[in-house]
Amino acid sequence: MSTISTSAVPANAECRSVLADGRTVTITASRRPRANRADVKCSVPNAPAIAERMQQVVRLARHTEVRLDSRDQVVLSMDIAPAATERDWELAAVLADRMVRGLLPAAPTTAQGRSGSWHLGRVTGTVRNTPHAATGAAPAAGEDGTETVHITHLGALSGHADLSAAVSTVRTWFPLHSGGINDTLGWLEVSVFPLDAPATSEEDSIAAPGLDLAAQQEVRHTLAAARHFDGKGLNRWRTVVRFGQPRFQGGSYQLALVMADRLARGREFVPRGRLIATGCSTAWHAGRVDTVDGREPKLALIFDQVNKGDRVLLPKAWQDELPPGFAAGLRQKGASLACIDKIGMI
Amino acid sequence: MGLFSRRRKPAADMDGLGDTLIALRVEAGDVVPASCTAVVFNAAGHARRAAAGKVACEQGETAFCFHPGPYTMDLTPFAAAPEWGLRLRFVVDAANPRVAQQRFDLYLYSETAGRLALADFAVSAQLALQAELAQGALDLPPCTTLEEWHAFRAGLNQLMYMRYGVTVDDCVPVDLGEQIDYAATLRTRAQQEADRAAPVAATAGGASAGPTDGAPPASVAAAASAVTPTAAAPAARQATAAEQDARALRRLFIELPALGSELRLLSLPEGSVIFQQHQALLLRLGMAALNVNTMPALAWAAPDQPLSAGDQAVRSAQTLIAQSALDESWSLLARLQLASPQQWPQLLDEADRICANLETGLSLRRMPHVPRTEPSL
Repeated sequence: MSTISTSAVPANAECRSVLADGRTVTITASRRPRANRADVKCSVPNAPAIAERMQQVVRLARHTEVRLDSRDQVVLSMDIAPAATERDWELAAVLADRMVRGLLPAAPTTAQGRSGSWHLGRVTGTVRNTPHAATGAAPAAGEDGTETVHITHLGALSGHADLSAAVSTVRTWFPLHSGGINDTLGWLEVSVFPLDAPATSEEDSIAAPGLDLAAQQEVRHTLAAARHFDGKGLNRWRTVVRFGQPRFQGGSYQLALVMADRLARGREFVPRGRLIATGCSTAWHAGRVDTVDGREPKLALIFDQVNKGDRVLLPKAWQDELPPGFAAGLRQKGASLACIDKIGMI
Repeated sequence: MGLFSRRRKPAADMDGLGDTLIALRVEAGDVVPASCTAVVFNAAGHARRAAAGKVACEQGETAFCFHPGPYTMDLTPFAAAPEWGLRLRFVVDAANPRVAQQRFDLYLYSETAGRLALADFAVSAQLALQAELAQGALDLPPCTTLEEWHAFRAGLNQLMYMRYGVTVDDCVPVDLGEQIDYAATLRTRAQQEADRAAPVAATAGGASAGPTDGAPPASVAAAASAVTPTAAAPAARQATAAEQDARALRRLFIELPALGSELRLLSLPEGSVIFQQHQALLLRLGMAALNVNTMPALAWAAPDQPLSAGDQAVRSAQTLIAQSALDESWSLLARLQLASPQQWPQLLDEADRICANLETGLSLRRMPHVPRTEPSL
């Protein structure tokens, strides 16, 4: 069963970046048949050196992609010329190049970031997405509809671990239901690094900065129990858990947390895109997944936000109550769905 | 004369055949063990299988012998998840009487130089599997359901058969935690990072290098002119550019016609659009084969004008792009054989992409220097 993706790839995409002097540069990428021309063409008004640098950056960043398509030429252009020493527009150029070829969802994005090793996909930068702008839901408080994420490599946009970093960091997403218009996909991030000496107690080696004490305790219990189920995860890892939005209620993030932990420790198959999960459990030591509340709004949110390659994990109890066409719709968008009652294979 | 050469030649080393060694090249006069099968290729590359015993081959013929197995190998489907793997048991099946050329024979002839060890084969198969999963041709998501697992198994079996000619007997997910310690890997990376940071910090402290955090070297930029070949053969990594180029061109020369004939045998779904696209695909593959057959030599830009080593490296990198397109087209063939009629348009689009990559690689290989296709501003 291979995925059928009918989402049309746009012929144009743009990505913005804020320059050091406060101006906003818009990098527009457009795609046209290659017809024996160069694979990337760049133009910047009155600054050929920057255009050359942009071409180099984009070509280097393409080395981290798995799929080579030589049919298209991508033309990248800036509306204003940044200063010659400035380099923070580089990430925006790379993202625009990926959006126009359908590798990333085309959403209004602002990105700042630079790298000395684009061919490895390493980058230090921030990406700010406004995913709701297309649906017209004006963000009430200005900062709510947008989310700013810091990334250290390009794969972090879909939550993957950096294959060359010593700390394995994986991000997963879970639906945060807060009454209709403010529903978002919240993310959490698990970073693991091997301990030098075996920990005396698993829960001491797990930190969750920014959370209140009760939530911290729950995170620790969940991870320790799930590692107990795994069998090989105990007493070996120093763990840090971060949440994109530390103020929330309920335990529906637990499945996402457990999956992120398994992925970070290299003990789970890796999804192509993001992993979106909701579910909790009273028996993580047995690997069981229980149901959670708020099924309808969460399903609607997931259906709205899902992108190509994403993997959606839901509790088994929801399987019979999915709205008609939900699974087919997800597959149409290139995502896959599983309703599970137990973590791990089958 | 024959007696004389036979006496001087050392006997082929057949240790481990059927265990760590899948196949090896044998000469006339070697004795193939009873459990193995001999394959003799004549000068034109046509194969015939022979029974075990003394190998008899004429002038210009090459012979291999292989053990049918079963073999067991552990593959890591995702580089990011080294402790979670698949254990495959496969066999080299008896000859299929319905096809003119056995796929495994073709694999031996075009990709095997001397000995085919199980470890090398496993590395190659793992790269092929990882590329398929990364591109979304196969799906093995976290918490795989039974249905998804069956679909994956079907795709994997077909991939292994079409790409390598081996039949997957059994495939189970395994926990490789006993053999591979991810924590140790991470610790090694931290150590390497610290080692790398130390000299950099020393130079930066001495010379106060300024804000540039290391622009990439020009050689990387030159290599970036197109893209990476995703799955180069592991043994080819140490080979020189000329050897890699020759090997890749030989593979293209041998495999493109075979690929074309396999594609011709597919049963198409109804519809004239698909028929036309299929015809166009066959035509393009034929033209690519012609392109390969007439490829100019690597080392010469023109008669009497030798090419510099740098230009040769750029040229052979283009051949590797064409070779990876060839690898992808075998796995695409596997997908086409399993595809339902709704999936055909999408797969033909994929075929269009692969053909475009093949043509781009070959046409850039043909050019002696990197062309300036358009004026920069």
